[in-house]
Amino acid sequence: MYITVDNQNTFVATGGKPFNPNLPTVVLLHGSGTDHRGWALQARWFAFHGYSVFAPDMPAHSLSAGEALTSIEAMGAWLVRALDAAKVSNVHLIGHSQGFLVALEAAVLLSKRLLSVTAMATASAIPVNPALIETAQKDPALAAQMMLQWGFGNQHQYGASAVPGMQPIGIGQRIMANNPLAIDLAACNAYTAGSKRAQQLASEGCASCVILAAQDRMTPKKEGFKLAQDLGTHAQVIADTGHMLPMEAPKQSLSIMKTFIQTLEK
Amino acid sequence: MSKSSFLGADTIALHSGYQPESDHGSRAVPIYQTTSYVFDSVDEASALFNVEQGGHIYSRITNPTVAVLEQRLAALEGGAGAICTASGMSALFVTFFSLCSAGDHIVSAAQIYGSTVTLLKHTLKRFNIDCTFVDINDQDALAGAIQDNTKLIFCESIGNPGLAVSNLPAIADTAHQQGIPVVVDATFATPYLNNPIQHGADVVVHSVTKWIGGHGVAVGGVVIDGGNFDWLKSGRFPTLTQPYEPFHGMNFWEEFGPAALAMRIRCESMRDIGAAMTPHNAFLLLQGLETLNLRMQQHVTNAQAMVAWLQQQDAVAWVNHPDINADAHTKTLFPKGAGSMLTFGVKGGRDAGAAFINALQLSSNLANVGDSRTLVLHPGSTTHSRLSETDLVAAGISADLIRVSVGIETVKDIQADFGLGLRAAAKVAMAQLAQTEA
Repeated sequence: MYITVDNQNTFVATGGKPFNPNLPTVVLLHGSGTDHRGWALQARWFAFHGYSVFAPDMPAHSLSAGEALTSIEAMGAWLVRALDAAKVSNVHLIGHSQGFLVALEAAVLLSKRLLSVTAMATASAIPVNPALIETAQKDPALAAQMMLQWGFGNQHQYGASAVPGMQPIGIGQRIMANNPLAIDLAACNAYTAGSKRAQQLASEGCASCVILAAQDRMTPKKEGFKLAQDLGTHAQVIADTGHMLPMEAPKQSLSIMKTFIQTLEK
Repeated sequence: MSKSSFLGADTIALHSGYQPESDHGSRAVPIYQTTSYVFDSVDEASALFNVEQGGHIYSRITNPTVAVLEQRLAALEGGAGAICTASGMSALFVTFFSLCSAGDHIVSAAQIYGSTVTLLKHTLKRFNIDCTFVDINDQDALAGAIQDNTKLIFCESIGNPGLAVSNLPAIADTAHQQGIPVVVDATFATPYLNNPIQHGADVVVHSVTKWIGGHGVAVGGVVIDGGNFDWLKSGRFPTLTQPYEPFHGMNFWEEFGPAALAMRIRCESMRDIGAAMTPHNAFLLLQGLETLNLRMQQHVTNAQAMVAWLQQQDAVAWVNHPDINADAHTKTLFPKGAGSMLTFGVKGGRDAGAAFINALQLSSNLANVGDSRTLVLHPGSTTHSRLSETDLVAAGISADLIRVSVGIETVKDIQADFGLGLRAAAKVAMAQLAQTEA
């Protein structure tokens, strides 16, 4: 669906069903330079099993208009405005990589509307090599290739795909090369409040879940374990996958996500 | 440059899409000779049917062995996804079927495979899809043929059998300026010699029966979605950008983006038309693909040797290969050589040509190309026999044209065989001459 946020046309994937703001809403937040399509399979499951799905393309990403936001804090505030525009009440926030940093910022603003947070292949801080940011500014396609070569785990480097016949590296490359990757990476690099925000959520009793990838070379799992500690929870690690976890292991990641959220609903 | 794999082409051909499975450690890709797949539960079955989960349901739609071939071919061409089909013609059909509806229009190169002409000119016409044929390298003619309802530009990277090389960057420029994708049949090139997506093509089709298989034992096709075309921005493709009722209103562009076309073909064409590749054929074709790069080197080397040899023979009237007096774009697009197809005519015309073919012992007279063995054919009386005289001229086919798919045998043996044929042809030519003089 398209909604208007800050006077800009904004695309929000709803998992193939009309959006119903009165259902518990699963918010799926994409990582740097990517878009809602990284969640295609998980989104459909939630949408067809009693939840509403809200998976936005951040401003200037893929199907959404507007200017790219330059800080994680601004992205978190934007997300809350987007949820307000769609009249969403209660939310489970799920974020991949940068998307979880955005979730942390939004979570603090959402207060009692927040039901849970789920972190996927991420950390409380995501420092980015300045050379990569510079490459993303000059040649986004090349930077996307560098990230995908680093980001996908071993099996996907050898052509594995959760969806028969598809090439996740090729799909990711096309999406990332056309999105404001450099701005996203710079925003990640500058963000330092993650650990404090996570500890704040833990102190407020927010339910949380952390899903890590065994072969993650972008946000190494030791950093993910620290995040889990900050959130006051234990991390679960999916074997044989890299940083692009939502695309690499949609079935396994969905299994953990839905078990966590369904347990809370009970 | 768009990439789908960071492995080299030789490695992709051998490894991509399959690593030894955990149960038995089979090094070779197993043949999953099954129609269907047991679901863990009703919930899992439901998730698979509703595209909430990737996996296999029924081998008309997907099959694990076929999927390995699809993933290898997508990676070799640098595409976002691939769908294998029962044949090259079915690959073309599902592509046209997925992009066009009644009332739509296609612009095609005139110089293409005879059955594709028939599909575009007659079969699709029955469904109110029209086609205009043009000299694809005449940019003014191409631009002039595009209509408001044009959905795609079609060409072969090397035309069959005229062997004209399509100037893909120029064609893509013209097409993309008007929001139209370029579909390229790259069968004669193979991914070893040229990757059309890197030169502006949006969809690549192969008859994998040919060089990719190479052994002449299995028929198959593939559609590779380049993933670079913006179907929404074009505004011409409701099949990809509007809700699709049979899948709860799925919008393929919104859900799958760069793989929208591949997923539409998977969800609709494979389900409704069912031109599926069999797992056994996929296995056989994978055996060929593993050595494609090595074989293509030999094919090209032998073809170049045969061109040079034929040009020296008194009985030969003319020889055609894209590398002879090559255009600038041919040199750019085919730095390793423009394939292993050649055509030639013998002095004495069609009758002498027939004598040539009938005298051959090593080479095979048959309706195929891209076998490891040398193949010859007279297109005017076989593959292109259903074309009118006008269409034959447009396709670059003269009455005396002999099409040769140069194999990877020892080249002196091919030359010796052709020597037999040329002696037989020369006798006919001499008899004709004597008759004329009498």
